[in-house]
Amino acid sequence: MFPIARSELIQLFRNRAVLISGLIMPVAASIYFIYNRDVFSQIGSIGFVGALLAFTIAVFTLYATTVTALAARRQSLFLKRLRSTAASDPAILAGLVLPVVGISLVQVSFVLGVFAVVGGRPADTALLVVAVLAGFAMMLALGLATAGITNSPEHAQVTTLPVSLGVIAVASWVGITGTESLAALKRALPGGAATELVVNAWDGAAPLGDSLLLLAPTLGWVIVAIALASRMFRWEPRR
Amino acid sequence: MEQLTEKVGAVPDRRLLAGGASPGPVIEVEALNVTYGDFPAVKDLSFQVQPGELYALLGTNGAGKTSALEVIEGHRPASSGRVRVFGQSPTDRAATRPRMGIMLQESGFSADLTVAESLRLIGRLSGRSDRVDRVLGVVDLTRKADTRVAQLSGGERRRLDFATALYGRPELIILDEPTTGLDIQSRDALWEAVDQLREQGSTIVLTTHYLEEAQQYADRVGLMHQGTLRSQGTVSELTRALPAAIEFSLPQGAPAPPIPFATRDGGAVLIETFELQRDLKHLLDWAEVNMLELSGLSAAPTRLDDVFRDIGTTPVPDTP
Repeated sequence: MFPIARSELIQLFRNRAVLISGLIMPVAASIYFIYNRDVFSQIGSIGFVGALLAFTIAVFTLYATTVTALAARRQSLFLKRLRSTAASDPAILAGLVLPVVGISLVQVSFVLGVFAVVGGRPADTALLVVAVLAGFAMMLALGLATAGITNSPEHAQVTTLPVSLGVIAVASWVGITGTESLAALKRALPGGAATELVVNAWDGAAPLGDSLLLLAPTLGWVIVAIALASRMFRWEPRR
Repeated sequence: MEQLTEKVGAVPDRRLLAGGASPGPVIEVEALNVTYGDFPAVKDLSFQVQPGELYALLGTNGAGKTSALEVIEGHRPASSGRVRVFGQSPTDRAATRPRMGIMLQESGFSADLTVAESLRLIGRLSGRSDRVDRVLGVVDLTRKADTRVAQLSGGERRRLDFATALYGRPELIILDEPTTGLDIQSRDALWEAVDQLREQGSTIVLTTHYLEEAQQYADRVGLMHQGTLRSQGTVSELTRALPAAIEFSLPQGAPAPPIPFATRDGGAVLIETFELQRDLKHLLDWAEVNMLELSGLSAAPTRLDDVFRDIGTTPVPDTP
């Protein structure tokens, strides 16, 4: 796993397009949200800004880069090459996604850390960590699933749009309007419950027990995304 | 690649060092079927590859050899039938890959990695041990060690591909179209390296469109057509089944040759024979006695190409 992760890290940093779109742009967007935190917290809450930051990294660094990288490796038959070795499928996949998972976790820790310093600390850090990790697990599995229907890195610009825009839209909807109306629908949508968890963890507005209940739909989405990934992921280009 | 002999030849037989070769066949394929939807790509294929031999699996385009090879490599499940490599399922990568090098038909390298990084990665993951610089020397890519794969020519990529297969001197090497895209020097050097590996006891499975390579290097040949194994044996066994050809032209008014013949369009005489040397001598004696010049005389033994063409034009028998 680690030799694959090392080579993947080298490839990520040597590919300027991936570096800019997957790693630099999300941080630039995060800086914009933090700089304008007062505007966004008036629309929603300070927790909404936290959710926006977490999902910006989850969508653009983790999800989009995972899809693009896996599609590129499959298109070049690099995945087939790796399967010609003694490495197992789980080890190959883990090695391929480990760098981008690591980078996105470092990014989100850094960005939320900066936001906590300038915008106020979260009310429940442990709950925030759980919420972010659950959201990231869901986005990673959705990335594997989307990679299954993505033929090339160029194609990824199209195939990632529905989930990317959908998750950001859901996060914004839940963060801005709350869950007093249409609660079931909002929590059932991908990223909806995770957003509410992040907002609750940051704002401290809801009892811990209520927040923990939100883990159920969040983890449900993780399971759905993993099931989709195991069905849709392909190792070789379609003939 | 002039260092080939020195670098490969200096290596002792791994299998002997490891305590002996596999007792049975290296590869066993029994009643293999591979289907894509309703399309049968491989039908009831059976063959074995013995330790130390070079087995060439040849076929027309779409004959099913790549599908069969992919099952042997563990890249594709069999629809039915049984395939064993070293007595193991080829999908058991942990068991088979450390003993098996695979040269894929298409490269499959990451464009952003260098040659040395690519070989180091694949070599390390293969479970075999070797020195990257030694293997790059064998395939004459030492000077390209720090070059990114994106900047390699097609032939250089094929050589890198070959390097991954021979890394760690595996007991079994699968070469899928190994010389496609190589210049003649690189092709000769590759076969020299294969010869060296065979001297150390490696078993080779080859597919190629260059039939002269199979004719020259293969111990046994399997000929596939439309998903079935139509013929199998040594080159001489396969070519023995078809007649050799003697061809020439006679001057106007010459008597008929003393051996059964056919006349081609344009008047050339064609004699098909299973006794080439005897019939050629008989013909030349006859021409001398009659003071005839056999213009454009050619006498060619049957080649694998002829067997290949013959199989390609013979309809596949219906399976019951």
